[in-house]
Amino acid sequence: MDDPLNQVLLNQQSRIGSDLSLWLEGWGGDGLNVAMSDPAAIIPVIKEAGLLGLGGSGFPVYKKWQAIAEQKGSDKYLICNGNEDEPGTFKDRLLLEETPLQVIEGATIAALACDIKHIIFYINPNLKACLKSMESALERWLQSGFYKGIYESGLLLNYKILASSGHYIAGEETAAIEAVEGNFPFPRGKVPRPTESGVHGNPTLVNNVETLSNVSHILRKGAKWYQNLGIGNASGTKLYSLSGDVLSPGVYELPMGTPLSELIYNYGGGMLVGKELKAVFAGGPSNTILTEQGLDVNLDFESVKVRRAALGTGAMIVVSRGTGIVKRVAQYMDFFADASCGQCPSCKTGTYYMSQLLNKIDTGKGSKADLDNLVDLCRILPGSGRCHLLEGAVKVVDSSLYHFLSEYEKALQE
Amino acid sequence: MTMTDTVLFEDALANYKVVNERSLPDINYDGLLEKYHPDYFKDACVTLNVGVNKGEICHSQLADLLQADARIDEADLAGASIIDTDLLVIGGGGAGCAAALTAAESGVRVILATKLRLGDSNTIMAEGGIQASIEKNDTPQQHYDDTIRSGNSNRPVDKELVAKMVMNAPDVIRWLIQQGMQFDLDEYGDLLTRKAGGTTEARVTYFRDYTGLEMMRVLKEAVRSSNIEVLDYAPTVELLTNEEGDCTGAVLSSLEENSYKMVRAKSVIIATGGIGRLHLNGFPTSNHFGATGDGLVLAYRVGVKLRDLDSFQYHPSGLAYPQHLSGTLITEGVRSAGAYLLNANGDRFVDELLPRDIVSAAIMRECSEGRGIDAGNNVKGIWLDTPGLELKHPGIFDARFPKLIKLGHKCGTDPRKQPMLIYPTLHYQNGGAVIDSHGQTNIQGLYCVGEVSGGIHGRNRLMGNSLLEIICFGRRAGEHAAKSSPRKVHGKITIEHLSRLRRELTLSNMPMDKKCPILFPSYAKFEIDSDYSGLHKNSKE
Repeated sequence: MDDPLNQVLLNQQSRIGSDLSLWLEGWGGDGLNVAMSDPAAIIPVIKEAGLLGLGGSGFPVYKKWQAIAEQKGSDKYLICNGNEDEPGTFKDRLLLEETPLQVIEGATIAALACDIKHIIFYINPNLKACLKSMESALERWLQSGFYKGIYESGLLLNYKILASSGHYIAGEETAAIEAVEGNFPFPRGKVPRPTESGVHGNPTLVNNVETLSNVSHILRKGAKWYQNLGIGNASGTKLYSLSGDVLSPGVYELPMGTPLSELIYNYGGGMLVGKELKAVFAGGPSNTILTEQGLDVNLDFESVKVRRAALGTGAMIVVSRGTGIVKRVAQYMDFFADASCGQCPSCKTGTYYMSQLLNKIDTGKGSKADLDNLVDLCRILPGSGRCHLLEGAVKVVDSSLYHFLSEYEKALQE
Repeated sequence: MTMTDTVLFEDALANYKVVNERSLPDINYDGLLEKYHPDYFKDACVTLNVGVNKGEICHSQLADLLQADARIDEADLAGASIIDTDLLVIGGGGAGCAAALTAAESGVRVILATKLRLGDSNTIMAEGGIQASIEKNDTPQQHYDDTIRSGNSNRPVDKELVAKMVMNAPDVIRWLIQQGMQFDLDEYGDLLTRKAGGTTEARVTYFRDYTGLEMMRVLKEAVRSSNIEVLDYAPTVELLTNEEGDCTGAVLSSLEENSYKMVRAKSVIIATGGIGRLHLNGFPTSNHFGATGDGLVLAYRVGVKLRDLDSFQYHPSGLAYPQHLSGTLITEGVRSAGAYLLNANGDRFVDELLPRDIVSAAIMRECSEGRGIDAGNNVKGIWLDTPGLELKHPGIFDARFPKLIKLGHKCGTDPRKQPMLIYPTLHYQNGGAVIDSHGQTNIQGLYCVGEVSGGIHGRNRLMGNSLLEIICFGRRAGEHAAKSSPRKVHGKITIEHLSRLRRELTLSNMPMDKKCPILFPSYAKFEIDSDYSGLHKNSKE
């Protein structure tokens, strides 16, 4: 078997920056050519391949695409979501910076499949290198003979690169739509769905950068090939952002379903010497914590879900015995309190109050009543916000209380 | 010749005669440093594998500290209280006090944290004096030239720092007098000066032979009567950084409360002094008990660039006998006043007022070539001809060197009647953190001043430049930090830089069993001295 590491998205053939001729010489362009030859076949291929939304939802991509394709209208939008901002997630920046053409080609195929006219690459402005790389790649793409061929075949596309506001919440699906309309990125209510009414009331497809990056390869090599890349029932590969107290943190592209222990010990080089593993913030700080017993979990959406955790963006923050969980969770809660857009009172005050409580407990000033309040908030708050920010914030607190209650109790004032 | 030819102490003492004048024979100084100065000892240095100075050479005992694991982990900080301040000064010696005072005068909140008590430092050990070109025929230019020349370095001295220091020097003396410090004066009330080894003019101002003690006395008074918050017995065990890597505070280990405290500060000034208590190359030291190189370790971990880590000063006149006092400093002022150095045969063997590194190397040459004096138990040395000086200038010891008389008393001898056996003692760390003219390091928000910084003295420091440096740069850093304070906000406080350190240590296969900073010398007796029991408990956890 081939080396499982960096087979597709992070393969050397993909990581060529914005050099279009190099991209077309290699495996670029083929996927789009296949798609052009039979646009109606794109969605069935994606469906068969089993491509999932890799921005964190794990929602089947073909369902969204189908919903858009079924909508009428000539002004449909595609937002390629690159507003990556969560602590511990740093995969999209690598794709945008080093494989911009892979992203552009994937987005173009998606537009072709769903009859979309406007493609917007929506990028976190703090990722300056990504913006630069995408701008340069897009310029070459639009001026190339290759694109001219597509254009002349009647596929009229309107590409745009848009720097987001830089807020964490701006990466939320409907917040991104608001931002494209030129507004502050407040998330919207979920009815109607973006697939029905998004940017200026037009059907809008929002896909993550990593999701779209896979598309050209699936069309080029076929659905079977993509299915076989994964382990077990899972398809394809996944970019895991590994960080924390491991020897070699970084982004690793591995078959979907690679066990967590393998990621940490084989690829991450294991724990720093003299450190024992304490916990893994699987899927980033807005998800459930895994402890040592959870290390054998296969990292695909289904398997992680069985453990009542979530794969999320594929961020794995590994912490060692030396890490104070209360302090860490308090830091994450500070982040969420800061990131809350303030629309929903429960989220605005809830995250703030939880952050106050956590910091109070962490600095040795907390009482038993504070801890009780924290537990109560974990019950009351979920489900009361428009978007998932509050859910994620509560989940990490709840999960840390479940696994490390003794640490909270130890930090309380005597 | 071999060691067996060495003259025994009693024989040498019996042969010694007090003579008024002794002529200096022709001396060959070629290759002296290379052969005898400990900086040139083979195998004394290693190449650093970790950190910003990776690939550069460093004394092996210091390298062990710089490349060691941290004392704390995140979990240790659970429940630690957080104190906010504008400026945190680490170190309660002359540099720290000068910085804290200057900053506090501008109205910013200052916390001064010290490992032991305020004033427990090498500053109080400084005897000789403080240089400033205040005499009529002297100029800052001459002071500058002397400093650069004695730097004796293939690596250049930082000329900008030296220039700032010599130009500031007269003002430093003025400031000290304003604080209440006394100096020895002539009958007209003018400052007396003496000449330091390796200089062209007399420019060392002084108070008896305890100038540093007098300086520390007034600084301490000034700090205590200001609104600076002093935290005694609170060694810093780690700095805090934000996500950009800027310094945002420090973790203190409170020995009295037996707990960790975090101080969140807009600026941090490290003024922790040197590393004499590591006893490099097995030398005795003139340094204070707390001189264990903490500041270098803390700064290096957050990414501060260091320099000249292989260069240390061995003061020529450290007491060699009796052994329990070995390493105790005898001021260069004695030589400056005209005392000779004599070998076992009663001959002079070096121009006593050459720079310290050369004089030290010459002493070591005498001892290793059989002209030294053997006091048993591996103790050897040469004579400091104090009776000769007394003969030339009757009464000089009572007037100028009361501390030396007292030291003689402790040794059971009278320096006016019996010469003192001396041998070079580890005295000063020439290198340290690279700083700019405000004492700023390459890390935002972090300053290093005093002995912990490097670049001013090259590979050899002049007498009297150290007291000058600590006040000059202490004040400059304090002023700069206070000025920048209103523009700054408190940053995030994390110990994220430790992950980077541990990763680097692991990747370069370094042992991780040692925890640094060591805070106290290995022979500290915690079980006996209850003052330190807090640290003992903290470090056991």
